[in-house]
Amino acid sequence: MTTPSRSSLSARSADHVVAAIPAAWLAVFFLAPLGFTVVFSFARSVFGGVELAFTFENYRTALTGFNGATFLRTIIFAVSASALCLAAAYPVAYFLARHTGRRRAIAVVLILVPYFSSFLIRIMALHMLMSRGGFAETVLNALYLHGGPLDVLDTQTAVFIGMVYAYLPIAIVPLFVVLDRIPKPLLEASRDLGASPLKTFVFVTLPLSRPGVATAVLLTVVPMLGEMVIPRLLGGSKGVLMGQAISSQFLQSQNYALGAAMAVLVLLAVGVMVVLLARLTKGFAEIGQ
Amino acid sequence: MTIFRTAPSARSGLSRRTLLTLLGAAPATAALSAALPGGFRARAADAQLNIYSWPDYFSADNLAAYAKKTGVTPNISTYDSNETLFAKLNSPAGAGFDLIIPSSSWIQQFAAKGLLQELDHSRLNLASFDQDLLNRDYDPGNKYSIPKDWGVLGVVYDPEAVGGEIKTWEDFFKAFEKPEVSGKIRLSDSGWETIGPQLWIEGKDWNTATSDEIRAAGEKVKALAKHVKSFSGLDPNAVANGSIVLAQTNQGTGRAIIGLNPKLKWVVPGPFSELWVDNYAIPKNAPNLDQAYDFLAYQLQPDVQLAETQYIGFPAALAGLEEKLPKDTKNADLIFGGKDLDFSKLTSFVVNPDTIGTYLQVQTEIQAAAG
Repeated sequence: MTTPSRSSLSARSADHVVAAIPAAWLAVFFLAPLGFTVVFSFARSVFGGVELAFTFENYRTALTGFNGATFLRTIIFAVSASALCLAAAYPVAYFLARHTGRRRAIAVVLILVPYFSSFLIRIMALHMLMSRGGFAETVLNALYLHGGPLDVLDTQTAVFIGMVYAYLPIAIVPLFVVLDRIPKPLLEASRDLGASPLKTFVFVTLPLSRPGVATAVLLTVVPMLGEMVIPRLLGGSKGVLMGQAISSQFLQSQNYALGAAMAVLVLLAVGVMVVLLARLTKGFAEIGQ
Repeated sequence: MTIFRTAPSARSGLSRRTLLTLLGAAPATAALSAALPGGFRARAADAQLNIYSWPDYFSADNLAAYAKKTGVTPNISTYDSNETLFAKLNSPAGAGFDLIIPSSSWIQQFAAKGLLQELDHSRLNLASFDQDLLNRDYDPGNKYSIPKDWGVLGVVYDPEAVGGEIKTWEDFFKAFEKPEVSGKIRLSDSGWETIGPQLWIEGKDWNTATSDEIRAAGEKVKALAKHVKSFSGLDPNAVANGSIVLAQTNQGTGRAIIGLNPKLKWVVPGPFSELWVDNYAIPKNAPNLDQAYDFLAYQLQPDVQLAETQYIGFPAALAGLEEKLPKDTKNADLIFGGKDLDFSKLTSFVVNPDTIGTYLQVQTEIQAAAG
């Protein structure tokens, strides 16, 4: 038995210092603004400022009438776009985990590389692809899947295509990691016991990939709740969502109080989703170790 | 960005600066100017000039020539909306700027908050300006601002699809329901630019209309929203190739579109339409006042104004610029809003805290109704 030496003690205090720096950073640049937002959300708005008060008026305005409908529409939109993204990502992740063998590193890199380029550039590229006389029109017409000019730009369809495209890589990666770590013997056991490949997937692979599903949904649904660029560039700024509504309250209407209340509501929605997704993975011990 | 974050005052199109804002060039420009070697700046002892402006809003050649002539390289920081400019000037971070470029719609708000200083007219040659641009409602007597460049709200359309000529905003709205036009319309994303035309049809002034009147006019536009394809910044190609056949926009974008497809037409409809002006103004406690006036005097020289016009694509404010343009400039009249633009039929929007919320709220509802 040994007692902790002086050097390990000081190493431990050094650890504390190292941890304190990012903690302080978070406190100043994350918690403080968040605190202001919450305080503002209960205050009264004057043009370009707030008067401190304690009123639920902003929340009432944010939850009723047009604003309430916008909030609901945003949640439905983000959840369905995230589900679509998940549906597109799962087969890709499955293929990567099971069928790429030694080339998987290249495959993962190929999927992630576009993600490293500027978000705006990628959406602008999609804009050009989908515009009239663009590449998508040429290809669809050549395959006889579509006739004449393609007018998909400035529609909800285009917004969904953009959302799925933009967030696909961050949905694929967590799914791939989880699917990759499902032990092969489990699948072999399932087959030995007479389960068909479909049954194996439904009763073994799918339940074991729940943490990946939860992570993928969380990583896509949160940014989608605040997405502003894609509706603007691909959807013609129609059917306003929360991201636009909040920015217009803060910047154009200079109504900081209402904007803050709306932002807090989105934050609460994210909180609810985190709790729901945490339940999805409840009782899940780390596998493959 | 402008393309499509076009919240600013009045811009309804893909102008050079909205596109750049959109593409994130704003931070790049700021970083670039911050990265200039300090020694270069320090050459003229302590002379300095700090400009806060829209991205890429000064001709690079003119700036370089000014630096060469005076030894002072202007430090330019950029914003992407009047709202951002207002928020910054209204905070401690706003100290230290010598020259800013607010739009006509916001001058009164800036002045009311005490953020601007009165201009010394003896140091400016106001006689050289296009007189139509001076002494307008948004700043009577040009107490706080002088015009830098300007634009108008107009309409670009395909006469074949519309089936005739558009002369008034009534013609414009009537065309919405035509089968060749429905679903191929672009409206501005600015509340006063979509509701304003309806108010003018009803004989009202968009600066004095009450919240109720604004809402009532807005409801009429909302009823037509289902025909609208887009409220985002206008991509000239979308009009040139027929995806959009009827669009509200400014003359700069209008000229770009007609350059691509000469069959299309540009009109500034009656009875009234919008004139927006971006202005030079000096913040209250500008630290380098003399340098700011010196830079203004330089900017207001005819050759410099001409180069600015060609660079930003919107006309600078000096009188007689149109004649100075090279003869081979295509559709030169469109730079200046078209032939026979009647300035007495143009009105500038002024942001009023009592009604701006209604304009914005109804605009948001119009956009939602189109979705």
